[in-house]
Amino acid sequence: MSLTLFSTTKALRSASRHSQFALFDFLAPSIVTSSQTIRASLFHSTTSPIEPLQNAQTSHPQSLQNEPSRKPLTQSQRDFLDSALRVNQAGELAAVLIYASQTPLVIRSHPHLRPLMQHMYDQEAGHFSTFNQLIAKHRVRPTLMYPVWKAAATALGWGTALMGREAAMACTEAVETEIGGHYNEQVRVLLDWAEKLEGRGEGSEELDGLLKELRRIRDEELEHLDHAVQNDAKSAEPYELLTNVIRGGCRTAIWISEKV
Amino acid sequence: MALARLSKSITSRFPATSPCLTIWRQTCSYHSYEYVQPPPFPPAESAILSAAISHVPNYGFTSTALNLGARDAGYLEVSTNLLPRGVFDLINYHLVTQRLALKDTVQFPSEGEQGSAKKLGVGAKVRTLTLARLRANQPIIHRWQEALAVMAQPSYVPTSVAELARLADEIWFLAGDVSVDTSWYTKRASLSAIYSATEVFMTQDRSEEFTETEEFLDSRLNEVMKVGGFLGGLGEWLDYTGHSAVNILRSKGVRI
Ligand SMILES: [Fe+2]
Ligand SMILES: [Fe+2]
Repeated sequence: MSLTLFSTTKALRSASRHSQFALFDFLAPSIVTSSQTIRASLFHSTTSPIEPLQNAQTSHPQSLQNEPSRKPLTQSQRDFLDSALRVNQAGELAAVLIYASQTPLVIRSHPHLRPLMQHMYDQEAGHFSTFNQLIAKHRVRPTLMYPVWKAAATALGWGTALMGREAAMACTEAVETEIGGHYNEQVRVLLDWAEKLEGRGEGSEELDGLLKELRRIRDEELEHLDHAVQNDAKSAEPYELLTNVIRGGCRTAIWISEKV
Repeated sequence: MALARLSKSITSRFPATSPCLTIWRQTCSYHSYEYVQPPPFPPAESAILSAAISHVPNYGFTSTALNLGARDAGYLEVSTNLLPRGVFDLINYHLVTQRLALKDTVQFPSEGEQGSAKKLGVGAKVRTLTLARLRANQPIIHRWQEALAVMAQPSYVPTSVAELARLADEIWFLAGDVSVDTSWYTKRASLSAIYSATEVFMTQDRSEEFTETEEFLDSRLNEVMKVGGFLGGLGEWLDYTGHSAVNILRSKGVRI
């Protein structure tokens, strides 16, 4: 365990190249960026925008250990949930930032859109906090690309809003089309599991809860899509190029966040 | 287009096979509250290794301890099929069982509970948990340097590092930390570094009740907190500068 610092320097020098990289790569974040964050976190512990999940780790397991019939989730099911929740959190982070950076520009020239932008922003903030809580509770690691998505989403929101209301709405349309499809795919997979469990008489509250959240959020995303189309997303110039680029970007971002 | 290109260049810089990611991927996976986690070791392995651990204070992390353990568990000798990594399997057993034991050895009063003078912050909980894990090495501390040498063998390094990362993850989780941004990584990496340094220090500590180890741990934790704001703040600095630049331009009437 104590491989890192003192006793093993000699051993490391003779270690294979690969192992050295493994070690140094792993330590790199601590050397480069850790100190400030850990300072903030150790004493104020306010880095997360959400409330602590009270005793999430202690309240459930005891009561459920009395049910020996429960099988563990398979590794591939856990992997699926792991990357699904990671992608969803990253996506909602991006959505919050896109709306946050679009809003001031859009409502300056179109004040009547203020309630709509506020409404969509509030829903995205709700989605973001839902997934923040879920990934903390289920011990899913967040995406390593977090700062990159932050910058990219802000730039995207800002850039499209500068192009005008139609482009901003086309951005929403493109993003929500991808995201809606993405949530639909997850709902389909989880529904399939839930049906199989039901068939064996092993309903799962955890799974049902997750399904309910995913469906609610998907419906809200599709609602955003409708709002965008109603607000002339289709008359954005150049519509095809803009939406294709954004949708391509979304797909790439999803693909990366699933893995990284 | 720009976003797609950016994303692509990022993927090529951080390929999915990067050792750093491999470690985190081995370390963490969706944790379910409804399904029973399988036991960390199969029964036969578990029987031999838990018996062998009791011989470590006398015989160290050695094949002697392993053989005595196998005999205690009713096996004639240690089969290489069962424990292909030999002594390292014994070390790994100690690491895994002590990590999993943490959640039972350290119990914090629950949030609503009255009586505890002051609610412990996450930082204090991290300290308590780290100390508890170090104390679990106490019975075998005089044998721990041998174990460290085995763990540092090239073929065992990835497993050992991943196990260290799992311990750091466990501690932050049990401490109730819910950060879900990049600090998730930096917190785990810093704690891993601090833990391993302190563990090595402890093997040379001759003080009563390992008070010097405790002091060492405290100063490492304090250091991380004092040095902060340097490079660590880069991301936040960019964030801040970016936003304030936009705000200044806006206040000057620039329509952005
Ligand atoms: Fe959303
Ligand atoms: Fe949305």
